[in-house]
Amino acid sequence: MQSEKLIQSLIEQTRQIINQVERLKNCDLHTLTWRENQSSWNILECLEHLNLYGDFYLPEIENKIKNAGTKHEAEFKSGFLGNYFAKSMLPKDRLNKMKTFKDKNPLRDELDHVVVMDRFIHQQIRLLELLNLSENVSLNKVKIRTSISRLIKLKLGDTFQFLINHIIRHLKQIDRIQEEMKNAGQASF
Amino acid sequence: MREIAELSDKTITIERNEFLKVKGSIDTNVYYVESGSLRIFVSDDYEEQTIRFGYKENLIVSLDSFLTGKPSVFFIQAIKKTVVKVITKSQMDNFLKSEPNSVLWTKILENLVLQQMEREIDILTNSPKERYLRVLKRSPQLFQEIPHRHIANYLRMSAETLSRLKKS
Repeated sequence: MQSEKLIQSLIEQTRQIINQVERLKNCDLHTLTWRENQSSWNILECLEHLNLYGDFYLPEIENKIKNAGTKHEAEFKSGFLGNYFAKSMLPKDRLNKMKTFKDKNPLRDELDHVVVMDRFIHQQIRLLELLNLSENVSLNKVKIRTSISRLIKLKLGDTFQFLINHIIRHLKQIDRIQEEMKNAGQASF
Repeated sequence: MREIAELSDKTITIERNEFLKVKGSIDTNVYYVESGSLRIFVSDDYEEQTIRFGYKENLIVSLDSFLTGKPSVFFIQAIKKTVVKVITKSQMDNFLKSEPNSVLWTKILENLVLQQMEREIDILTNSPKERYLRVLKRSPQLFQEIPHRHIANYLRMSAETLSRLKKS
């Protein structure tokens, strides 16, 4: 795949992500903190979970891009593992549950809704900066360590795709929470 | 402008703070603002600098992307709920095939060059008060349409300074 095409598509996905969360800012606190059952996340917790991932990946990516000794390459070829991880993140029609690592689980944290959403938007603006910066380096040769293990590293291009797919996954979950809330007859008042 | 707006067969509504375009994207569309208002800004190291505003009956465009087909650093964000008509590059190209349309477009671009020159002088003007008075004289409507914190940013001054200048 052409590197420029990939980056363009990721930039557009990020734009849509920002817009979806900007719209969430209009929801009342009741909607933002509604949960289907004791063990499921509310909307704020979904966003905070994404923030925790951003806290890990964004500085890591920034550091690697700024210290990269590589040049832009016209072609990007997804790695075996990177492709697998990125694809596995995409939500399926029916919810495929995944396990959350303990340190990325925000359940029952005391969350300030304004802080959580502002933090999320800031992270996306930062992600846009990094997508822009990445045009000067190789999406193939720059490698980013994962949060799973420092031994497992993914290509920069795959990391971006993985990160954004992960966000899309949880924004879909947020859509579902809003659906379920409506069905439960608890629509915002 | 109406002639150009009428080329559109697609309307987009965006809510306050939503983005029509973000940094690094290639956006060759021209947008005609039906209602609402938008700002164009650039950001570096997380600081934003507003470059232009668009409100009702304005055209808004990332002119660099439109002309070159390359990525543009501009963000375009809704200041309040905004409805725009989308005119694609190919609709524009078709439109510009006719001589009178091309003359109209040249007029619009000429006007834009003049505005940009005024803006250049704004930015190079040292005195905040002078900058404020220039813009107030040129676009009094701006102060009706746009929240003043955005105008302060556009004028490269703090909101407090702008508020002080308005009173003086």
